[in-house]
Amino acid sequence: MKRAILAAVLILSLALVGCASGAKSDTIKVGWFGALTGDQAVWGENEFNTVKMLFEEYNTAGGIEVGGKKYKLEAIGYDNKGDAQEAVNVVKRLTGQDKVVAILGPNASGNAIPIAPVLEQAKVPDIATVATNPKVTVLDGKVKPYNFRVCFIDPYQGAVAAGYAYDKLNARKAAILYDVSDDYSQGLREFFKINFEKKGGTIVADESFNGGDVDFRPQLSKIKAAKPDIIFMPYFFKEVALSANQARELGLKQVLMGGDGWPSDQLISMGGKAVEGSYFVNHLDYSDPAVQDYKARYKAKYGKETELNGYLVHDAVLLLVAGLQKAGKVNGEALAKAFEGIEVQGITGKIKISPETHNPEGKDAAIIKIVNGQYVFQEKYAAE
Amino acid sequence: MVQFLQQLINGLSIGSVYALMAVGYSLVYSIMNFSNFAHGGVIMLGAYFGFFALTLLKLPFMLAFLLASAGTTLLAILIERIAYKPLRERQAPFLYFIISAMGASILLENIVIATIGPTFRTYPLVFERTPIALGPLAIGRLDLLMFLISAVCLGGLIFFIEKTKMGKAIQAAAYNIKACALMGVNTDRIILVVFGLGGFLAGIAGVFFGMKYTVYPQIGNITTKSFIAAVFGGLGSLPGAVLGSVLLGTIETLVAGYLSSQYRDLIAFVILIGVLIFRPSGIMGKNTVDKA
Repeated sequence: MKRAILAAVLILSLALVGCASGAKSDTIKVGWFGALTGDQAVWGENEFNTVKMLFEEYNTAGGIEVGGKKYKLEAIGYDNKGDAQEAVNVVKRLTGQDKVVAILGPNASGNAIPIAPVLEQAKVPDIATVATNPKVTVLDGKVKPYNFRVCFIDPYQGAVAAGYAYDKLNARKAAILYDVSDDYSQGLREFFKINFEKKGGTIVADESFNGGDVDFRPQLSKIKAAKPDIIFMPYFFKEVALSANQARELGLKQVLMGGDGWPSDQLISMGGKAVEGSYFVNHLDYSDPAVQDYKARYKAKYGKETELNGYLVHDAVLLLVAGLQKAGKVNGEALAKAFEGIEVQGITGKIKISPETHNPEGKDAAIIKIVNGQYVFQEKYAAE
Repeated sequence: MVQFLQQLINGLSIGSVYALMAVGYSLVYSIMNFSNFAHGGVIMLGAYFGFFALTLLKLPFMLAFLLASAGTTLLAILIERIAYKPLRERQAPFLYFIISAMGASILLENIVIATIGPTFRTYPLVFERTPIALGPLAIGRLDLLMFLISAVCLGGLIFFIEKTKMGKAIQAAAYNIKACALMGVNTDRIILVVFGLGGFLAGIAGVFFGMKYTVYPQIGNITTKSFIAAVFGGLGSLPGAVLGSVLLGTIETLVAGYLSSQYRDLIAFVILIGVLIFRPSGIMGKNTVDKA
């Protein structure tokens, strides 16, 4: 049933995109996938909307020029429900059936990691948006030839969080609560722990929960007894809001800290007072002049605010277009080669893809504090 | 000691969420001998009904509660009529009921995703989040209310089943529905009443769940735990469902609090399996072989 509805929706949207893009031979097909249903659907919808909006803008401006020829861009998007197995299936479909030249997304590391073999076989590059786990592009010290990303990675993010907590917030005892069933959360927890301890701090409680849990009071009661200075919560905003509320109910008054799974309008509406005064590491500063134009265009088109993912997928599209132009032809293999060493000025910062890691090098992290229900930029912070 | 008491309070509070959901499973099981997995979907819709009653209709809390329960009562009856009645009339094997129930559950989830949308929503603040402080212990206001309302509902349900004529008929049907029908009892009506009662409780459970946590289309998944609690306590037995839920909640909490939160589910479920090996019908279950 779910599939039938989805298929209908997708066919319909494809038909619409197809009509707009005109002649078939001069279009470049680009795949996108992510969660359009389930817990992370907010972000998936936001990403796909952004991709569609940007492609439309390119097309109305006459398309993009690759190797002296004008092309229109066509987005083909599938829902993988945030599921890793489904991610592999939709990538097979995108590469095998739809013959896309490149794929944008997904946002989740857990979904980006398993698709590598399919990409390699089909020779189609993928640009992940907010997938921050190191294994997305590098596995066992070897770079995956067809996986790229536009965001910084978890070791860096964890180091930033630990450094900021220790040096700027003067925390010496930290407690961690993390999602044991999630690669992203586990990675952040690991790198926070390593870096915080290296600085001389102690982890006084290291507790976990399982994805889908809604009650965290047993773990929080334990954390309360350990009397930390700060609580690190490296997971997504739904659980952040629930656990923050429950922490305050149990009388925990500590500063909460998190990563890029936090920023969302819903965090503020669900978390309210409980997340007030918390800090998190983010990919960008929402008040940065560079992002205002995109933010306004998105709002005007869709009538709601963009989420974090939109900014990153925006830069993934820029990278894709720059890559196509550099490659000079519409070919996945050439495109993957073209991405290596490319430099693009994105709205989230300069993106210079390292040939060794396929990560953007030297991207600063932004520290954001929640003040009066607003995300207030504190500073750009780089970890040593 | 303080931490132990606090963890015990946490456990009871989690257990009472499970209990409200588990009773619905047990109730239907006692009559129909199958696990009504659509119950999770009904709970989820109960949470949405309550949410919209509070936000769109701006009803006072108690009215929203009643409206949500009325909605889920009707929904549960509707599901019975559409998904189960045709199977009953054809005397289909129980496996078919379970498959039909799962289908109904997936259908409900996807209807909500397609119409209301996949994002989660937050209930307006009905009760202050500041807990009642009992010395160093914190007891949530909502938890307390939930405990009270659950107790009243479950008490009312047990009274209904033990003391009323309809209740007697339900008991008889639970014992042997075919013999019951032969004695001239309208078993079709009994089944409707049972689904209605289960639906009513699902509405209450849904609204509480939404208020306590949040509302999203996958709430139904959480009922897996309450189903397990119902099995643990003894499917088909109402006091068993309550006991099983409270025990599961407490065991989970204590394992997370004292052994390891990483292995919470693992250890908690090993304990459950252990119990079921020695008491296959659950703690208070009816000791019959044919009910599977």
